[in-house]
Amino acid sequence: MLTINELERYDRQIMIADIGKEGQEKLKRARVFIAGAGGLGSPAAIYLTAAGVGIIRVVDHDSVELSNLNRQILHWDEDVGKKKVSSAREKLKKINHEVKVESIEETITEANVFQLITGFDVIVDAMDNLPTRYLLNKAAIEKNIPFFHGAVYGFEGRAMTIIPGKTACLRCVYRGDIPKEKFPVIGVTPAVIGCIQATEVIKYIVGIGELLKNRLLIYDGLDMKFTEFKVKKDPQCEHCGHVRKG
Amino acid sequence: MSIEVSIHQALRHLTNGQATVKVNGNTVGQCLNNLVNQFPGIKPKIFDKKGKLLNYVEIYVNLESSYPEELAMSVKDGDRLHITLIIAGG
Repeated sequence: MLTINELERYDRQIMIADIGKEGQEKLKRARVFIAGAGGLGSPAAIYLTAAGVGIIRVVDHDSVELSNLNRQILHWDEDVGKKKVSSAREKLKKINHEVKVESIEETITEANVFQLITGFDVIVDAMDNLPTRYLLNKAAIEKNIPFFHGAVYGFEGRAMTIIPGKTACLRCVYRGDIPKEKFPVIGVTPAVIGCIQATEVIKYIVGIGELLKNRLLIYDGLDMKFTEFKVKKDPQCEHCGHVRKG
Repeated sequence: MSIEVSIHQALRHLTNGQATVKVNGNTVGQCLNNLVNQFPGIKPKIFDKKGKLLNYVEIYVNLESSYPEELAMSVKDGDRLHITLIIAGG
């Protein structure tokens, strides 16, 4: 049930016929896990908080560095040296105090991933390296939790939505590992991709629209072009090959 | 047989700045070899020393993933290839 305050706060999105009060209540009940409070995690968390999801859990092990501030908009000058999750929680609560924000300062590993994601309705992949993305992809499939992938490099970004057992997963699409590197990026790129991830999450929670299922969306900011590629589930996939369509 | 290859932004300095290149071939592998013949500098950016595609290179044929067939996948006149690079930054 929405309060009078909530009805006013979310008035403009409740006006969207596909959302309405019922959709807003679904958002209020939703539990969102965000892996990473950096370039992608910042816009995704900000817009999901503003949209009024019930609980957001942000996990990150890093501290804020000056070189993060060109893109990680949850963190400001005054936050340099602070833990990213503390800085993120502080800002998100200021954006919308109605949202419960859990901040966990941990590295996501094989040992803790299931404990961290259990009980959440969706996982937002806002990591900065492929090995942890694979770890989350595999865990999301095991726990049957939709996984919202996003990645950036320079002026380029990509997004894809993974519904366990029904769509191609990250491992179906990506052949292997790539070396972890210090990557170039300008803040507007994760802003675009993080907002696409947040849009997908909202649509999934409310149950509307067409998700990026089996569709890899690539954004090229230099040519200002979005290109959509069809991807397919690999029956031999080492992460999801054993999971049947539900 | 003419196939158009769309070149990723990060590789265009190796194709004289061209965003698309016309190639010939009956398979993805032949098309990429033809591309390498035209622009030899691109070879180490898409193939390893054994001639396999590098892990971070993706090939799409008519906007569909060529994985896992990849180099062996057949192509026909008028098809369009995209070379993209896997990214993982966040």
